[in-house]
Amino acid sequence: MSDLWSPGSQQLVIWLLAPYIAAFLVALLPALCLPLILVCVLATALLGAWLLLDGAGQQLLLLQQYGVSLSFDRLAGWFLLLNGLVCLAVWIEGRRQGWDRTGWLLLLVLLGALNTSFLTTDLVSLYVSLEVVAISAFLLILKGRTARADWIALRYLLVSNTAMGLYLIGAALVYSQSGSFQFAALAALPPGAPLALVLVGLLTKSGVFLNGLWLPRTHAEAPAEVSALLSGVVVSAGALPLLRLEQFSTAVIALLTPIALASAALGVVYALVVDDAKRLLAWSTLAQMGLVILSPAAGGAMALSHGLAKAGLFLTARHWPSRSLQGWSGRPLAWNLQLPLWLGALSIAGVPPLIGFSAKKQLETALTPPLAWAVLLLSIGSVALYARLCRAPWDLSPRAPLSWGALLLSLPLLITGVAFSAGGLTADGLLKSVTVLLLGVVLDQSLERLRWRERISLPQLDRLPDLLGGLGLIGAGLVVAIRSGFLPLVTEGAL
Amino acid sequence: MPAIRLLELLILLAALAGFTGLLLRRNLFLKVLAMDVTGSAVVALFVLLGARSGLRTPILSRLTGPADPGLAIADLADPIPQAVILTAIVIGLSIQALLLVVITQLARIDPSLDASSFDPPDRP
Repeated sequence: MSDLWSPGSQQLVIWLLAPYIAAFLVALLPALCLPLILVCVLATALLGAWLLLDGAGQQLLLLQQYGVSLSFDRLAGWFLLLNGLVCLAVWIEGRRQGWDRTGWLLLLVLLGALNTSFLTTDLVSLYVSLEVVAISAFLLILKGRTARADWIALRYLLVSNTAMGLYLIGAALVYSQSGSFQFAALAALPPGAPLALVLVGLLTKSGVFLNGLWLPRTHAEAPAEVSALLSGVVVSAGALPLLRLEQFSTAVIALLTPIALASAALGVVYALVVDDAKRLLAWSTLAQMGLVILSPAAGGAMALSHGLAKAGLFLTARHWPSRSLQGWSGRPLAWNLQLPLWLGALSIAGVPPLIGFSAKKQLETALTPPLAWAVLLLSIGSVALYARLCRAPWDLSPRAPLSWGALLLSLPLLITGVAFSAGGLTADGLLKSVTVLLLGVVLDQSLERLRWRERISLPQLDRLPDLLGGLGLIGAGLVVAIRSGFLPLVTEGAL
Repeated sequence: MPAIRLLELLILLAALAGFTGLLLRRNLFLKVLAMDVTGSAVVALFVLLGARSGLRTPILSRLTGPADPGLAIADLADPIPQAVILTAIVIGLSIQALLLVVITQLARIDPSLDASSFDPPDRP
């Protein structure tokens, strides 16, 4: 643990503040926009990569015992790298769409707030940075400038602020019982109402299961670049604190595992049924966030692989001829859209040598055998849902403008994937992934026939009362699970 | 029941009332007000938390020393929750303002601000 004045820590604090300062400067001097954004985004990605490679990590405590505590560790490295890359890609696409200086200001504030939320390890700093993330995401959604966007943004901020109110009550209870706001203090307490309230807040932020019902419509209706930001990084701002809590206490893992699996199943089922391609991507985000929070050992890799792939997929959405999945196979897509689309889809489906494969393998080794089988079953579903997107014929004429942002995101999918899976590519793993792929395609084909014959419809789950009810339900469920003695049973190894 | 437990219970009831209002009210404006009730309850909870150990301002003068030599350290209020909640008050206020701005925009579509009229009836 080092304080502010140890060597290297001053640079880290400057690095942390740089995006906020840059945001002010961009508002005042729009001419500086290009170098400032580039420096901040690249600095974020580089620090993330360095933390991943170095692995030693550093704890930083600003202003002593009650101050802000930051943890520069390997886990945060995954998320910082993801943040830098996604913001870079969104910047490239935003320039082509002619974003104005408010857009750049919001992007920089979002970048800074996300960095803070990835690094901080105390409940109050996390609250502040998550609220800043929510406000800037809200304003970015409003860039859609339609009544629909207004409603979606309002819903998003209302639900997220309510959840954060519950989270603050949890934080207050933690302080009253332990005299500290650190994550470690929360994990050291016996599980109870404080833990349940904090978890409800974080689950809502990370878009998991019933707490994440706001997610599909929000991510689908926002402008394409904003969707990429939301699905790529903004949801992981809630997931990383959950992973940190899981590192501290097995009780949290036991509580979150059923919720995470349920989220993955719910997301896959809805994504298999929806008619709208952007909505399909958004439901799949809900499913993948469930997988991200399953295990602290693999969560970072899962978040990076999912975030890169999903942001790339959403960035291509602007150039699709139509969002409707009916007749998708009859509308040719230009090759420069197909390339990132296929790479992203294959990566999430877990095909080697893309990064999704190594992330999924890490996840399976980190889990107990029954859970690993459940994840394998769910990945058949996710192959089937991405097979729906890959059905469009290729248009090889070089007409459409190249989507550089999406291509930029699919490149690291390949590079990091090759780097990580170089040593671990076994015949067994390869066979498993090919089997899952084949089963997924078969599932997709049989479902497609069913879809033609009769319109399958599931209950609509994302009206405003459902979102708020979901919060209450999961909160009550967590309290009941803690009180009913479900926990000791699970932590002894029954699950 | 000691007074501080009673106050804590009342505050948690207020938070619950806010959440219930958020669920049951149909009017968007009232929903946002209900959210503010929860927010105010949270602020009150933190203030109460700060007052658990005492009510005196926790500032010691360097020149004169403690004004009252008999003053025990236990009489001082805890400044940490108070400092923390100051940020949350500001954030809560700004979110409230942003939501109200969007509501004025939405009022052009449906002046009665019935929340269900904005949710599109399409399939998931």
